[in-house]
Amino acid sequence: MTQQVTTQLTEKLPRLSRARAATVRPWLLLAPALAVLAVLLLWPLVRVFLFSLQDYGLREITTGEPNWIGVENYAQILATPELWTVVLPNTFGFAVLSVAGTVVLGTGVAVLLASLGTFWRTVTSSAIMAAWAMPAVTGTYVWVWIFDADRGVFNDALMSLGLLDDPTNWFTNRWTFYAIVLLNVIHHGFPFVAVTVLAGLLGVPKEMLEAAEMDGAGSFRRFFSIIVPQLRQVFAVVIILSTIWDFKVFAQVFLMPGGAGSNRSVLNLGVWSYVESFGQNRYGFGSAIAVLLTLLLLVVTAVYVRTVLAEEER
Amino acid sequence: MSTTRPLVRPDAGAVRRPQRRPYGRTSRRSPLRQLGKGVLVALLLVFTLFPVYWMLNSSLDAQAGHTNSFWPAEPTLEHYVFVLTEGGFGTFLRNSLLVALGTVLVSSALALLASVAVARFRFRMRTQILMLVLVVQMVPLEALVIPLFVQVRDLQLLETLIGLVVVYVALALPFGIWMLRGFVAAVPVELEEAAYLDGASWGRMFWSVLLPLVAPGLVATSIFSFITAWNEFIFAMTMLGGATENYTVAIGLRSFFGVHSNDWGAIMAASTIITVPVMIFFILVQRRLASGLTAGAVKA
Repeated sequence: MTQQVTTQLTEKLPRLSRARAATVRPWLLLAPALAVLAVLLLWPLVRVFLFSLQDYGLREITTGEPNWIGVENYAQILATPELWTVVLPNTFGFAVLSVAGTVVLGTGVAVLLASLGTFWRTVTSSAIMAAWAMPAVTGTYVWVWIFDADRGVFNDALMSLGLLDDPTNWFTNRWTFYAIVLLNVIHHGFPFVAVTVLAGLLGVPKEMLEAAEMDGAGSFRRFFSIIVPQLRQVFAVVIILSTIWDFKVFAQVFLMPGGAGSNRSVLNLGVWSYVESFGQNRYGFGSAIAVLLTLLLLVVTAVYVRTVLAEEER
Repeated sequence: MSTTRPLVRPDAGAVRRPQRRPYGRTSRRSPLRQLGKGVLVALLLVFTLFPVYWMLNSSLDAQAGHTNSFWPAEPTLEHYVFVLTEGGFGTFLRNSLLVALGTVLVSSALALLASVAVARFRFRMRTQILMLVLVVQMVPLEALVIPLFVQVRDLQLLETLIGLVVVYVALALPFGIWMLRGFVAAVPVELEEAAYLDGASWGRMFWSVLLPLVAPGLVATSIFSFITAWNEFIFAMTMLGGATENYTVAIGLRSFFGVHSNDWGAIMAASTIITVPVMIFFILVQRRLASGLTAGAVKA
């Protein structure tokens, strides 16, 4: 049928014009989108790199004149002790813990959901959707409110249980600060993992699981020997996407008390870049930090693109 | 523990146990297992819903910020009234709505055209373009905000809503193309060919055949773009600067934070107003969102 239609089509239209339309038309359709991407995403990426090689401050922004200093910004970043003791540990440590937490919790919830009846599965997945839909900004404010030093419900509860004598400010300490960010990010991030892994779980052939059960494999054994290999692709995508998202966590840190630069011990790469640029007007220095963050993400992204396109072109 | 009442009929599942589980393992429906599952579900519900509940609770309690209670001690709508009148949140809502709708209109149109190109045509560089669309989504906003601030400044669009729309279109476009591509690809080519056979031009086919069939995908993509613009924080904060009258909801919230004390009742009421439309939209598109992100890795 298709074959027949195609031959009729080719007979109907002059050969040359049809071929030309087929080569030109996709580019015409793509042109507006590509123009937007080029001007508003690719050119800025080039520019942030160019800024990073300059002493780019308010004067340069106003006059538009370049002020090249080579790789001095990068040298200065690498020579900042804070980079090694604070910024990188905060960025990497947080990314590792939150990806692990998100993926483990999300997978656990997916397994739980798969074992529930229709009613409870609907109830639970709706609740998960609510957590997912919470915008980062409002979600962060809610956590800040819960953990507020003077009036927050967390301190209140600990004190009435006798676990705490005086109200504690959890935001001044680097570890408790990031524990709250972790809670916030996992709460917001695990639903995506749960929904995605659940979709994958429901696709695993029941016969395989039943056969393994017959052979005496326990539920852990069944999970790691059958489900995990079957869902390799799903796990790869979920882990990589979470890594990308958690590396560049910004609002969840920036909006916390002290997170916008006043507490130097909680800086991560993204926030550091922002406060140097827009707080100190050192746009060149901030750009160099942003370039480093982008390069780190690019490595993870390369793995992601390969994983997804491998599936695409199968 | 054995005295706890089972959550299902005691005989449920007992009949099939001998044949199905010859090794005498605990049945899936054993009371103990059901109880464990019930506890896990309860914990999960508390963890996921507590922040949402606490936001609603504080927004409805006149005592919020003074004494904590697990239901509104003094139920009131005064925080909502304050936020929407004196708080100026009505203006922020209007701004966010304008910006989000502008973003949806422009980005959906551009994404539709581009997705038809990558889903329907085989041409040189097609894979490279798909790759580009994927890669640009991963660029951190912290890296874009500096050059885009300069660019928007040069265009004299700082502190304007149009400046924000321009940026948000770029942010929403790549995912929009990626998502719509799947919908376009799902339309049977035979339908298009039938339209050609009936003498329709390509443009006619696009309007009368492709567009109606892709409409659900267009709705999903639009909702996604809407949420992106509605929630965005870093560009709004940077580019709107001191132009309070142009603030969007995400940064308008900050006006309820004081130097010495914060008006938590108002902050939570405003947060609720921001969150509710997103939650409704989200429930409408969540399945599409997940599958768009994993892009074929899951066959649901």
